[in-house]
Amino acid sequence: MSTVKMEESQLLEWVDKLIALQRVIGVQEKQDHFVYDTLRSASDLRLDHDVTYLPPVKFLFPQREQLIDFKLDEGYESRIESEPFVLLGVHPYDVVAISQMDAIYSTGHEDQHYMSRRRNATIIACDVETPSKNTFAGYMGTATVKEGFDVLLTRIESEYIAEAGSEKGEALLTLVSEGVTSATADHLARREEVWRNNVDKMKQQELKVDPRDWPALLQASYSDPIWEAQANLCFSCGGCNLVCGTCACFDVQDQLNWDLREGTRSRVCDACMVRGFMQVAGGHDFQSQRGMRYRHRFFRKGSYIPERFGFVACTGCGRCTSACVSDIANPVKLYNTLLERHPEVFAHRAEEPAPTQAQETKAPTSVFTLYPTKGWVSKKEGERRDIYLPELATLVRSNPITPTETFYQFSLDSGRALGHEPGQFVMISVMGYGEAPFSITSPPRDDDTFDMVIRKVGTVTTALANLQRGDKVGVRGPFGTAFPVYDELLHKDLVIVAGGLGIVPVRSVILYVLSHREDFGRLTIAYGMRTPSERLFVDDLRRFRREPGVTLLETVDRTEGRWTGSVGPVTTVLPEIGPVTSNTRAIVCGPPVMYRFVLSDLLAMGMPEDHIFLSLERRMKCGLGKCGHCQIHGLYACQDGPVLKYSQLVGLQEAL
Amino acid sequence: MEKPRVAIFDFAGCEGCQLQIINLEEEILVLLQLVDVVEWREGMSHQSSSYDIAIVEGSITRPEDAERLRSIRRQAKWLIALGSCATHGGVNKLRHLLDFDIAAEQVYGEAASQTHLQSEHVRAINEVVDVDSYVFGCPIDAREFAKVVKAIVFGKRPEIPEYPVCVECKLQGIICRYEYGEVCVGPLTRAGCDARCPSAGFRCFGCRGLLEDANVEAAREVMDRYGKTTDELEARMALFNTL
Ligand code: SF4
Ligand code: SF4
Ligand code: FES
Repeated sequence: MSTVKMEESQLLEWVDKLIALQRVIGVQEKQDHFVYDTLRSASDLRLDHDVTYLPPVKFLFPQREQLIDFKLDEGYESRIESEPFVLLGVHPYDVVAISQMDAIYSTGHEDQHYMSRRRNATIIACDVETPSKNTFAGYMGTATVKEGFDVLLTRIESEYIAEAGSEKGEALLTLVSEGVTSATADHLARREEVWRNNVDKMKQQELKVDPRDWPALLQASYSDPIWEAQANLCFSCGGCNLVCGTCACFDVQDQLNWDLREGTRSRVCDACMVRGFMQVAGGHDFQSQRGMRYRHRFFRKGSYIPERFGFVACTGCGRCTSACVSDIANPVKLYNTLLERHPEVFAHRAEEPAPTQAQETKAPTSVFTLYPTKGWVSKKEGERRDIYLPELATLVRSNPITPTETFYQFSLDSGRALGHEPGQFVMISVMGYGEAPFSITSPPRDDDTFDMVIRKVGTVTTALANLQRGDKVGVRGPFGTAFPVYDELLHKDLVIVAGGLGIVPVRSVILYVLSHREDFGRLTIAYGMRTPSERLFVDDLRRFRREPGVTLLETVDRTEGRWTGSVGPVTTVLPEIGPVTSNTRAIVCGPPVMYRFVLSDLLAMGMPEDHIFLSLERRMKCGLGKCGHCQIHGLYACQDGPVLKYSQLVGLQEAL
Repeated sequence: MEKPRVAIFDFAGCEGCQLQIINLEEEILVLLQLVDVVEWREGMSHQSSSYDIAIVEGSITRPEDAERLRSIRRQAKWLIALGSCATHGGVNKLRHLLDFDIAAEQVYGEAASQTHLQSEHVRAINEVVDVDSYVFGCPIDAREFAKVVKAIVFGKRPEIPEYPVCVECKLQGIICRYEYGEVCVGPLTRAGCDARCPSAGFRCFGCRGLLEDANVEAAREVMDRYGKTTDELEARMALFNTL
């Protein structure tokens, strides 16, 4: 790849040529700050900027973008629009941030909306001339970059060195004017010098904890009162999230046009600091306190993302520090304070020999140890599809089974079988109202139908309740993990404990087991409901009672009418499940409050943690590990769950 | 689908919010084909007493107003409070900062003693009757108003943000007023206006009211950082009665 040197005037000439060719989004000054905006003329370009107010990744993952168009009763259509463009003036820490976004949006299920823009983007990076006052990129290994750009510009006095980092960049460099020459060895040596200096220059805030130690330090600080104390000053404004180059979470919303016939589904950048980020339709908020959300942000960047993707989701740009009116968002201050409060975490290091000079200078200066070294994992053209596009399904029948719950049967218009396993969920869309996750209550079937039981609690569920037979819904899925009826649960005695709506997903298991009776041992079902009249699936329950080898234990919180069964929480009937042996496996599913009691009883009965399976509810927005709404410590409820072994959740305080 | 009947009423206020409705852009005017406006002093002469949706502007300042509002509530299936005066008392409540007689005299001079100018404690609509939806703002945003009506007609609960104005500033890349050393009440104020004031270069005045979980204590503590006093903050908050 070529490396050339240009006079400033030659550089500007080149940029003007680019502007004539493509949309060029470059750094400019606006109201005493720097911003990325469409560049009209090379003379507006400010390669000497310290930091932009918002990161350049907003042009790949915009604050609001339309994903899908829909027409009521007709269906959904992907909207993937993107034209080639150039991002000009991208600092190294932002180049790294973009590679991180690439990893998140291309790993597993590729996000076509992000990736089509990414493929169309040409990144012209530039080394930092002026450090911003809040930067600590020098400690993060992001002060300079060797990869992730198409062209890298480095200013050396009055000249610029331009190095192509890709074929795309190489092509752009062919546009430089006559008279531009290759960079000499001397130029390259001076560039090395700039890089060395920049590492120090980008240490404006002194970070005392190596980012590779962040996960360990966070783990030790989980219960520290500091989170709550700091968050007392938090406005839950999400500013720190929304200016971040690596914050990738989003919300999905439907808008209806004024004619009430057509509309669009959009995604909007979301912020985990804002109240309600983890609130489920029933009203329970898994992070109702400011302190929990404040801690979550640091854990997501410093522990959960590293666990999952292998890089720390912070590049030291310092934007969050500047954005926070209360001055509590600064990672440097936070980590330095954590270190002071938890010196024990690294106490053992004091005994190790001090690093030699040589080792010290090897402190992270490049991105290669901590950060994604590859851009995206490219999928072949044919494998690319819009992961957010629902397929159409038709309501076959629905009937209310209690005053609040309705039974629905849908069939996929394509005629394919849903192909789910017991315990998995699907995302159901009602056009114009939105999309929400629901567990499937029918066992795996060969035909194109599947069943759900849904409680009317919010916008989507109310819209579902108003549907008529023959009406269309959108379906995505099935998603997530299942109860392992094909392996771990085979030939086992099963104890199923369900509370309230928790019966809905486990019914899928029960029905599967009943139709494959010889593959399983004894089946004991403990089912707790608020009142007798609210019990779901009464016909099924009657049948379960008659099945040989099946014990049904029922209980209600409050009795009414002629109820002769047991009264009390579901734990009341647990002693009756009989002896727990090494061949017993338990499945537990219910509202958040139920788990703690049931689990402690099961453990007390001698059940090992890895013999208990449970299903967790979260506010899933994507189902595919992208939107961030279902995060439970390092796990994604939509991918690693909803079905999890209790042994996977031990110590995860936010899980239950 | 039968068109819902809509009636619009006003109480103590400047009628600026109704004016916003009259100013609806053409695109949104389609909306008016979805409903039947059956009563509206500001926009039409024909009046009716049967309606599904009542839109109420202004604050309640006199006993007879409270009575009229209650009867509106009885007839409406869905009641929308329109604008700051209706949603939380708005600038009308500034009057509570002064003794009533003094306030009346300052405003009306010698006429202050006339009986039709007598008024009592200022109340927001929801201090008198139950409210189903709110359209916040002083004045309201016509687009948001249309959005709320559209949602109701479509049978969807209107989604009104419960997060600070700062979210909308940051989404648009609007540079924070605190960076210019101004005291902005955006961190305490409910968003939904697309950060109208900050996007025009002003601080947020707080017209959409205090967030349910507004961290007022934090705002007080933060003043020091900007060389400001809590008095300055409180003066800003007083305007829309968010103190
Ligand atoms: S930490 Fe600061 S920027 Fe982040 S949500 Fe809280 S107040 Fe807003
Ligand atoms: S200008 Fe006001 S509303 Fe906007 S971010 Fe700053 S404090 Fe928040
Ligand atoms: S990450 Fe979006 S639902 Fe799990």
